Amino acid sequence: MKQTGAILGAAGIMSMVPMGTRAAAWAAGSDAPELKEVKVGFIPLTDCASLVIASVMKFDEKYGIKIVLSKEASWAGVRDKLTNGELHAAHVLYGLVYGVHLGIGGQKKDMSVLMTLNNNGQAITLSNQLKDKGVTTGGALKKLVDAEKRDYTFAQTFPTGTHAMWLYYWLASHDINPLLDVKTITVPPPQMVANMRIGNMDGFCVGEPWNNRAIYDKIGFTAATTQDIWKDHPEKVLGCTAEFSQKYPNTSRALIMAVLEASKYIDEMSNRRKVAEIIADKSYVNCPVEVIDQRLEGKYEDGLGKKWNDPNYMKFCSDGAVNFPYLSDGMWFLTQHKRWGLLKEDPDYLAVAKKINQIDLYKQAASQVKVPVPKDVMRTSKLMDGTVWDGKDPKKYAASFKVRAS
Amino acid sequence: MKFRRYFGEHLFPPLLGAALFLLVWMILAQSSDALPGPMKTLDSAIALFSDPFYQKTPNDQGIGWNILNSLGRVGVGFGLAALIGIPLGFIVGRIQFIDKMTSPIISMLRPVSPLAWLPIGLLVFKAANPAAIWVIFISSIWPMIINTAMGVRQLPQDYMNVARVLNLSEWKIFTKILFPATLPYMLTGIRLAIGTAWLVIVAAEMLTGGVGIGFWVWDEWNNLNVEHIIIAIFVVGIVGLLLEMLLVRIAKRFSY
Repeated sequence: MKQTGAILGAAGIMSMVPMGTRAAAWAAGSDAPELKEVKVGFIPLTDCASLVIASVMKFDEKYGIKIVLSKEASWAGVRDKLTNGELHAAHVLYGLVYGVHLGIGGQKKDMSVLMTLNNNGQAITLSNQLKDKGVTTGGALKKLVDAEKRDYTFAQTFPTGTHAMWLYYWLASHDINPLLDVKTITVPPPQMVANMRIGNMDGFCVGEPWNNRAIYDKIGFTAATTQDIWKDHPEKVLGCTAEFSQKYPNTSRALIMAVLEASKYIDEMSNRRKVAEIIADKSYVNCPVEVIDQRLEGKYEDGLGKKWNDPNYMKFCSDGAVNFPYLSDGMWFLTQHKRWGLLKEDPDYLAVAKKINQIDLYKQAASQVKVPVPKDVMRTSKLMDGTVWDGKDPKKYAASFKVRAS
Repeated sequence: MKFRRYFGEHLFPPLLGAALFLLVWMILAQSSDALPGPMKTLDSAIALFSDPFYQKTPNDQGIGWNILNSLGRVGVGFGLAALIGIPLGFIVGRIQFIDKMTSPIISMLRPVSPLAWLPIGLLVFKAANPAAIWVIFISSIWPMIINTAMGVRQLPQDYMNVARVLNLSEWKIFTKILFPATLPYMLTGIRLAIGTAWLVIVAAEMLTGGVGIGFWVWDEWNNLNVEHIIIAIFVVGIVGLLLEMLLVRIAKRFSY
């Protein structure tokens, strides 16, 4: 591992000290968590797994904290409880944290991203009514929208959130303007399913297990997984207010370490069945194990008869590649917020991402639990329409899309 | 003979109603594969109520705890509303100037959907639980103010004339005339208010989360567990009915 002391500071030096001494220093108290009980919110979705595992398997206690999990009713609820301090941290949509920081989709409040929780594992579901009309792909959807004029309704989970951005990106890649050609609404997942059942909803983008559930309930099929849109895209993050990460740096680090250990545990494929059983419990996702298990293990079927083993299933660690809070990942959401008119002006992309993503805290924590840290704070990704995002010229990237808010 | 008459007059009609209700439910359940029938619902109700007070994790507690938590919130919100609403009702009814001053505001705020108050509560109290209690408070205070004030206004002028002749103090007027005469109106207000409060708590908890019957329903909906949703409908209905009956009881004791 190549680490530069200048960036890592104290933790860099610490990692050179032998393990036994370090543990002693830990016990001595200078690094002891300021706050022992950390209240962490989550939404019952498959990707809350690392938080649940960190708590259930007691990885938290190893680092001197206790994670108190609190199931939340909606993303708006998570936002409110994070900003008013009822929750210390939460399993939260990447774009939501950025939106709140800039005062879109919520009261403006300085926010922090401690780490990324997972990559991949969301999907776009279309209704069986569309399938009956021969629509199984984005291209066919475009033809139908052009040919048959009516209100097409698509749903996502939060205006600035990840699902909204994946849905918009996918529609736009098929030349459908999500703001002009169809109606997009924000509703909670059960309502998406209920509306699709009665024929009021043409499609939605949401996290698992809901897309698998739509197939299980025979109301829709998976038209695209989000890993098809962007392989290894960032999804949920461990978010908190800037106030929290500044006031309780040791607690934040302990939290990152506990969740990193849980992430490593989940990424062992042999553990995944057990993970599915734990998180399916009524206290957590509250859903049949079979609905979670398949896609968590990478076994996909699309509801149209196609079955495949997806190599880009939901990842929780990938040797730290998942968890590093890349600045380019955060900036991407800002470029999309700008693209869809949620942001009126170009923000200072890099400065905002640097302020929100707690790279120093993350690096210190990762070095303690021996999770490799990437050298570059940016990464290069190629999305479904062939455009490349490397974080270098966000303003130009945001302006480069043909389909956008007018 | 006596039993037969009692049965025909008092027991038969509600029993017939219940039977018809179950019949319609069964027919509906037959024609839909998603809606469970009465027997299936009863089965899961028995399972659910066999252990109503377990506490597995903070996010998984028995139905009994959920109901008690909701009742607690209603109690606090409703109690505060009574504490403030009833005296306010007396003042509004007694003093014409204040009546004219407040009536446009009350008329404007009363029809506002209770849940519209939730974000305001969250902003002011910066916590979900007080915000839920605030919603109960604000939605149950109006019937108490309005009915109490109406009771005061309905007071026959003769009573007040007598009071003036006897030169009674304001306190005596209140305890001997105003209070007894307005009591029936006040109790109507309280009954209306408790109904609203119980109705609103379920909706408020759905949005705020935490332990309570409202979030319990929401969580079961997330799980698309229709049987549990139906059970919750019955639980909410029956608890509401019991609350109402309790207040009618109290009202009867106080009617002069």
